[in-house]
Amino acid sequence: MSVQPAVSVPERFPRLPDAPAPRGRGRLPFSGWHLVLAPVAAIMLVPLVWMLIVSLESQQQATSFPPQLIPSSVHLGNYSAAWNAVPFGRFFINSLLYSAATVAGNLLFCSLAAYAFARIRFFGREVLFVVLLATLMVPFQVILIPTFLIVKNLGLVDTLGGLIMPNLCSAFGIFMLRQFFRTLPIELEEAARIDGTSRLGILFKIVLPLSLPALATLGIIQFMWSWNDFLWPLIIIQSQTHDTLQLGLSQLQGAHFTQWNLLMAGTLMSQIPMLAAFLLAQRWFIRSVAFTGIK
Amino acid sequence: MKRLSLLPLIAVTLALAACGSSGSNAGGGNASGSASGASTQGPTPSGGSKSGHTTITVWQGDTQTEAAAFKTLVAEFNRTHPSITVNSQFYGNSDYALQKVLAAIAGGKPPDISYLYGSWAPNIATNPQLVPLNKFIDADPSFNWNDFFPAERKVATVGNSIIGIPALVDNLALVYNKTLFKQAGIPLPTATWTWSQFEDAAIKLTNAAKKQFGWAYVNDASEDTVWRYWAMLWQAGGSILSPDGKQAGFDSAAGIKAMTLLQQLTSHHAIYLDNGSDNYLSVFQNGHIGMLWTGPWDLAQIIQSKVKYGVTILPADQNHQTISGPDNWVMFNNGSAREQAAWTFLKWLTSPAIDLQWVTLTGDLPVRASVSQLPGYKKYVAKYPGIGVWADNLNNATQARPQTTKYPKISTTIGQAVQSVLLGKADPKQALSQAAQQVNGILAAP
Amino acid sequence: MSAHSATPLAVHRRPSLLKRVIASDHLAGWAFVTPAVILIAVFAIIPIGWSALLSLQSTNLIAPAHYVGLANYRALTKDPAFRSAIGHTVVYTLLFVPISVGGALALAVALNRKIRGIRFYRLAVFIPLVTSTVATGIIFLWLLDPTFGLVNYVLNLVGIPQQQFLQDPNQALYCIVAMTVWSWLGFDVIIYLAALQGIPEDLLEASEMDGASRWSTFRSIVLPLLGPATLFIVVWSTINALQLFDEIYVTTRGGPLGSTTVIVYYLYQQAFQFFNGGYGAAIAMVLFLAILIVTLLQLWVGRRRVYYTS
Repeated sequence: MSVQPAVSVPERFPRLPDAPAPRGRGRLPFSGWHLVLAPVAAIMLVPLVWMLIVSLESQQQATSFPPQLIPSSVHLGNYSAAWNAVPFGRFFINSLLYSAATVAGNLLFCSLAAYAFARIRFFGREVLFVVLLATLMVPFQVILIPTFLIVKNLGLVDTLGGLIMPNLCSAFGIFMLRQFFRTLPIELEEAARIDGTSRLGILFKIVLPLSLPALATLGIIQFMWSWNDFLWPLIIIQSQTHDTLQLGLSQLQGAHFTQWNLLMAGTLMSQIPMLAAFLLAQRWFIRSVAFTGIK
Repeated sequence: MKRLSLLPLIAVTLALAACGSSGSNAGGGNASGSASGASTQGPTPSGGSKSGHTTITVWQGDTQTEAAAFKTLVAEFNRTHPSITVNSQFYGNSDYALQKVLAAIAGGKPPDISYLYGSWAPNIATNPQLVPLNKFIDADPSFNWNDFFPAERKVATVGNSIIGIPALVDNLALVYNKTLFKQAGIPLPTATWTWSQFEDAAIKLTNAAKKQFGWAYVNDASEDTVWRYWAMLWQAGGSILSPDGKQAGFDSAAGIKAMTLLQQLTSHHAIYLDNGSDNYLSVFQNGHIGMLWTGPWDLAQIIQSKVKYGVTILPADQNHQTISGPDNWVMFNNGSAREQAAWTFLKWLTSPAIDLQWVTLTGDLPVRASVSQLPGYKKYVAKYPGIGVWADNLNNATQARPQTTKYPKISTTIGQAVQSVLLGKADPKQALSQAAQQVNGILAAP
Repeated sequence: MSAHSATPLAVHRRPSLLKRVIASDHLAGWAFVTPAVILIAVFAIIPIGWSALLSLQSTNLIAPAHYVGLANYRALTKDPAFRSAIGHTVVYTLLFVPISVGGALALAVALNRKIRGIRFYRLAVFIPLVTSTVATGIIFLWLLDPTFGLVNYVLNLVGIPQQQFLQDPNQALYCIVAMTVWSWLGFDVIIYLAALQGIPEDLLEASEMDGASRWSTFRSIVLPLLGPATLFIVVWSTINALQLFDEIYVTTRGGPLGSTTVIVYYLYQQAFQFFNGGYGAAIAMVLFLAILIVTLLQLWVGRRRVYYTS
């Protein structure tokens, strides 16, 4: 993925190759950082490991408390059982559409708005920014019912459109991208302005290419939110064919009794796309050629 | 570069501002719409009536076994009643269901039938679209309202209106681990057990070294915490409120006695405190708890575990009363055709024969007394060893919790009181008098 | 014709007013923000307005409501449970924000290098974030169970007596802090990582060649350059911490003895357990104002202390 801006860059900022990290000062055969990162990673991985173990256990073992950490037998059938217990494939697709749409919407609309907030001086800018930010300050439980009423008035109850629309643009993305855009060197953009490029052109040809890490981050976060969203889909979806994955998984949880092994198998399967998206986006975390312009 | 066309969006927003979004809806507008046969506004009609054929929606929270059983029954109904189609939808578990129902009510389009917790009944009853069922029940003697157990009927009635048909009934009984009793050398519980025998056994069964507890109690200060205490209160001869319902009644000598029992057991560390996630069942299944006060919902799991269990009624102080937590099928008015269809379905669903089918598939308790007279009943009792105790125990559920919109607040107050005693942070008299003071305040408020 | 009148007269005529307006920054700015503004106005601002109206009513969200003016707000000022909720929320926020921001910064710096397996470490840090709240709650309930939990087992091995953790009114809130820090660390880390990508290597190398220690390079170059990201994370974490709900809902349900009842949980109880919709909305409005004030303060401080490099 090319990170070079379309506009030619003065030679005083040569592009550096990715230099390898210097060896640790100690006499360890590997970087000393492993000693720090490995325990942290271990702590972070506890849930995944536990879920994996439970997902492979029999129903009997999975419900023992304290949980048995060493399964006496491996039940891979739990995965296919979870897949078949609810229309997993259908729910998967619905969740994917929902998440993809909200990611695309946020990347687009938040970029546009954030660029204006970061680079264009326009009437009412600061007040508008605070107003938009303020929408993050009310918990969803409170606006749940009015949001439902609005979507209902749009005739979008129980549709994918109704699911997606309230989440197409969030002030979170605007705030985050604004912060990132402001760290980019303005000289590049000014040079392009002088050359006659439109503001839109600057945004798409200069600013966004330099902001790939931020965009990737926003993309992952929004994907994760939509993928894990439970309450809004519950309220807006009324027929099973439109259910998302989280709604499907909740059907494995009874009021008094849960099939833990199936639930964990299902949950793990549902997390794979998010982890895949993260690994994919990691490529965009490479050092971009964004300069800070410090003389 | 692609850009969404903004014009439709702007137009819609303006239209929205013009007509406004109302917070509540008297529902009158909907009734005419569906009765005339046109499907309701929006791409997904939740029901409708077309030239004699009616579609109705039922919302429920069944999962796993019950979901499968319900699906079977609905399919059977649809087959045997060609002029009605029942559309069953899963609405989420526990509290989430309430938010979804409230949203639907706010939008003026609730489902035709919904499964609702009994504790929500007094509040749901205030909705103008709710259908009081008196007219249907009075017009149809074959329905036999009195066939339902007293506790159920109490919970389905708010004032003079019957606001729902019992959908589920349960009660608390004593489940015990025979092996642990034998190991400790204690005689097994019987139907004539007293509190002192119960307390004694619980203490003897407790063994810190083996991480073994005599009893388990759900200690999340929710209704789960409270209703077990109510059972104890009633067993001691007490009552929740005063006869006129205006004052707390639980801070009586009976109430203190019940709370003291909890305190005693706590001081011996005899109680496994469950934090609300129902882990107690798993702990019991692994043989670490001697006794449970629980209901038929745990039976299927207990049967599958390796525990040699027994079931009997709760121990008595002055009586063996138990508490029941019935839930209701509630009907909302979406037009007279759909109302009629909904009634037909509910009557069919709760009829003795169908109810027996349901309980045989799921292990729930029958909602009607006459079910025990049906020939298939013995098979049901045999399929779930011990279920018969709970079924008979329904006769011990003579009292019900107060049917007031303020009950949830009362419940939270008592929940904290019980929790404070179970955590050893307060003594019974103190906790109860404080709770009574708060409850009196709640009852006095408008 | 003289040579220096080659430029046509048209150049000296000012562009028309319309052209000036179209080219102006104001129109451009508003054009760029319009899609976002419309979406947010319809799906967030209007609903918030609806809730504000609701806060002036007495309703159980089921029967028709009636207006009661500021009665809900007046009741709030006299509500000791609400005051407790505020206290718990503030304590939680004052612990959560510094710990998670500081921890995330340290972790991001540690993860911002090219040693072998760095992708795996980054993924590991990301995992608690994608784990659903329900699963996280279950895991922590098990880990912290007083009798059977792993943590007490380990503490026991080193001679520390059994702790009650989530069943102890004095410990529960701190356990929630630990649980949410663990859950959300990855979030701040990936934002810091993205920000760290923007710091050019040559800058760091130049500083080290000048003889500065790693630590002073970090303090005088990296930290200031992370200012915008830090401001963002602090503001966002605060907004989130003040609205804590899900993790409480799946573990302690506000207990034991109300010690983990935070504002949004109290709101939820009022609206959806006690059927006091109007009162719940009033709580939301008060919280909203509080968060707004805190955020404005933070942004104001940020305006003076954060260095944007352009």
